[in-house]
Amino acid sequence: MKKDDQSEKTLSRRNFLKTTGGVAATAAAMVGGLNLLPAKAEAACDALPKKWDDTYDVVVIGSGFAGLAAAIEAKNAGANVLVIDKMVLHGGNSIINGGDFCAPGTKLQQENGVQDSAELMLKDMLRVGAYLNHPDLAKMVAFNAKGALEWTESYIGAKYTKLNFHGGHSVKRAHGTINSSGSELVNKELAKAKEIGVKIQLRTKLVKFLSNKDGRIVGVEVRKDYKFPDDNSGKAAFIKAKRAVVLSSGGFSRDTRLRQVHDPRLTDRFESTNQPGATGEALLAACMAGAMDVQMDWIQLGPWTSPDEKGFGYVPLFCERLVGYAPMINPKTGKRFFKETGNRKERADAIILIGDPVIIMGDSYAVNKQIFPMALQKGMEAGAIKKFDTLEALAKEYNIPVDVFLKEIERWNSYVEKKKDDDFDCMIFKDAQPTVAGPFYAARLWPKVHHTMGGLNINTDAQVIGFDFKPVKGLYAAGEVTGGVHGAVRLGGVAMADCIVFGRVAGTNAAKEKPWG
Amino acid sequence: MKNKKTKKLLLAVSLILFLVALLSGGIDAAPKEKKAAPKAKAADVKAWDCAGCHKDKKVLPDSHVPIKEMPYEGCLVCHIPGEKNAGTLRTKIPGSHLHALKGVKCAQCHGKVKKPAPVEMSKCVACHGETAKLAEKTAKVKPQNPHESPHYGTSADCNLCHHQHAKSENLCAQCHKFDYIVP
Repeated sequence: MKKDDQSEKTLSRRNFLKTTGGVAATAAAMVGGLNLLPAKAEAACDALPKKWDDTYDVVVIGSGFAGLAAAIEAKNAGANVLVIDKMVLHGGNSIINGGDFCAPGTKLQQENGVQDSAELMLKDMLRVGAYLNHPDLAKMVAFNAKGALEWTESYIGAKYTKLNFHGGHSVKRAHGTINSSGSELVNKELAKAKEIGVKIQLRTKLVKFLSNKDGRIVGVEVRKDYKFPDDNSGKAAFIKAKRAVVLSSGGFSRDTRLRQVHDPRLTDRFESTNQPGATGEALLAACMAGAMDVQMDWIQLGPWTSPDEKGFGYVPLFCERLVGYAPMINPKTGKRFFKETGNRKERADAIILIGDPVIIMGDSYAVNKQIFPMALQKGMEAGAIKKFDTLEALAKEYNIPVDVFLKEIERWNSYVEKKKDDDFDCMIFKDAQPTVAGPFYAARLWPKVHHTMGGLNINTDAQVIGFDFKPVKGLYAAGEVTGGVHGAVRLGGVAMADCIVFGRVAGTNAAKEKPWG
Repeated sequence: MKNKKTKKLLLAVSLILFLVALLSGGIDAAPKEKKAAPKAKAADVKAWDCAGCHKDKKVLPDSHVPIKEMPYEGCLVCHIPGEKNAGTLRTKIPGSHLHALKGVKCAQCHGKVKKPAPVEMSKCVACHGETAKLAEKTAKVKPQNPHESPHYGTSADCNLCHHQHAKSENLCAQCHKFDYIVP
C-alpha cells in the first residue's frame, strides 16, 4: 500500500510538477479540455508543429479592455497582430462592465471641484488592498491612470460624462462613460483596432502555450470554430507568435471549481456577475508553460448585487449611486449594520455574516438625483427594485420591524443634517438630504462573485514572471488575468484603469520583442 | 530495482488509462447536434417532403393534415398565433425549413458550393434589411429590445440567436432574465 502511494507520488511529481509548478497539478486534474496527459505535461519544451496554420508578430488572447489596448499599441508599434477570443462575441466582461474609469487629477474632477492626486489614489489602493498589492504595480496604475483615460478619450474616442463615487475611495474619481457601460470603451477600442488593421478572430480558444527548448513562448495551440462551453467543438490549429503572446483573458469568477480550490466558501451558492466565459483555463495554461501565479485566493464578492435578478443586473447601479446619500438596513433588526461607503470586501463580509439579504433604500430626492433613469426603470421592470409610497409600506414588504426602522431612519437623517455618521462613519456627501421624500425605492442585496484579484505574476513591463523569478520569454499579460495590482481588494473603477494601463504596456513591449524565427 | 520500475510503469499506464477514461466520459456526455441528411441531397428535397430527409422518422403529429404539395400559404391557414389556432411555425421548425417553405434554395445563402460553409450576416441583411431598421420595429418588445442592447448596439450577428440548422437560442439569457421566444 505504502509503496503504491509512493509510486504514485513519484509519478505525479515527475510528470506533473517538475516543470510546471504547484498550480499545474490542480490544473491538470481540472482542465479536462486541455487533454493534458502526463506524457505531454512533461515537456516544458513542446514538440512544435511542422506547419503553423497562421503566423503573426503578436497574438493577443482575449478581446476585452486590456487585450484590445495591447493589440492597438502593438499594431501601432509596427507589429501585425491577431486577437483571439473563445466566445461568439467580443468584449468579455468589459462589455458588461459598469463603465467607471478611475483616474486622479483629471479635467472632470477639476470641473466638479474634486482635489485628487496619483499619490492619493495609490494610497487608497494600498490601504483598501490591505497592503498586499505589489506596490510597483499599483503605482503604475495610479500614476498612469490619467494618461490612460486621456488616451481612451483622445485616441479611442470614448466619452465620459459623469464623475462617480465608489466605496473605499477617498474622493470621487470614477469617470462614468456616456452610456454607463464599459461597452462605450471596448466597442470603440474594437472599431479602432479593426480600422488600423488588427485581425480579430472569435470562437477561437487557447488550448496551450507552445515553448521552444529555451522555454521561450513561440506560439499557441487553439481550437478554431470553438463553441463555448463544449471543449470538443472546433478543430485544432497552431498559431505562430513571432514576437510575443499577450494574455488578457480575464479572471475566473465563473470557474466554480477553480475558485473553490482557492476559496472553498465560494460554492455555487454564490452566483457571479461575470459573463459565462470568465473561466480560468487560459490562466492555468500559462502556469503550465511556466508562469507563476499570485494571490489566487483573494476573490472579490460584489456587495451590491441582488438575488432578485440574474448576473450583474441593475441593482449595483442603484446601490452604488445611493451610498453616501441613503441608508442600508438589516431587515431582521430594522437597523443599519455597516458603513455604506465601506469597501467591497468589508461590506460583502458584513452581509454574509448576517446570512440573509439586506436592503438598500433611498427617497425620491436621492433616487432622482443619483440613479441613471434607465437603470431604475429596468431594475423595477425586473422586479429587483421596488417603489413604496411610505416607509411603513417598505417595512411591511421586507418584514422589517417598523417602529425600530422609523427611529433608525430619523437617526440617519440627523447624521445627514450634520454630515457626520456617529454610528459607522459613513461618508455623507455635501448634497445629501434626509430620507423623507416619498416615494421610496428599495432593493435586496446579496453578494455575487465579481473579480479575481489574483492571477499571473507580472512586472511593470507586463512581462509574466516564471517560477525561476525570471520573465517567461515571449509572454506578456494584462488585466484581470494578472495578480498583485489590487492586493486584497480591487477598488471600484480601478479595473478599467488597470486594463488600459497594463494593456498598453504589454502591447508596446510585445511588439518590441526580437522575432524568434 | 527492475521489479519496482515495472510496477511504476504499470501504475503510470493505469493512471493514464484512468485519465483517458475520465476525459472521454466527459466527451460522451457532451451534447451532439442532430445529423442532417446529406447536403447535396437535402438541396433537392421539396420543402413539404419531410421523409425526403427525415426518412421514416415521424416529424409531424398524427393529427396533422397531409402536406404533400402544400405551399407555405397553406401552412398559414392553421399556423397563426392565438387560441384555437395551431400557433406560428416560427418557433416550431428550424429557420432553414421556413426558408425552404418560402422557396429559398440552399444555394441562395450558401452559394453553389460542394461544402456549404456558415453564412455571413451580410447575407441575412441583404434580404431582411439592416439591423438598425429591425431594431426600430422591435423597439417596444418587453423587457428589452432584443435587437438593440447597451453592449452590442444593433451590431450583434443574427446567427448568434437565429440558428438555421439547430435550435435557435436566447443569447441574452446567458446573463439576463429575458424570456424571449426566438424564431
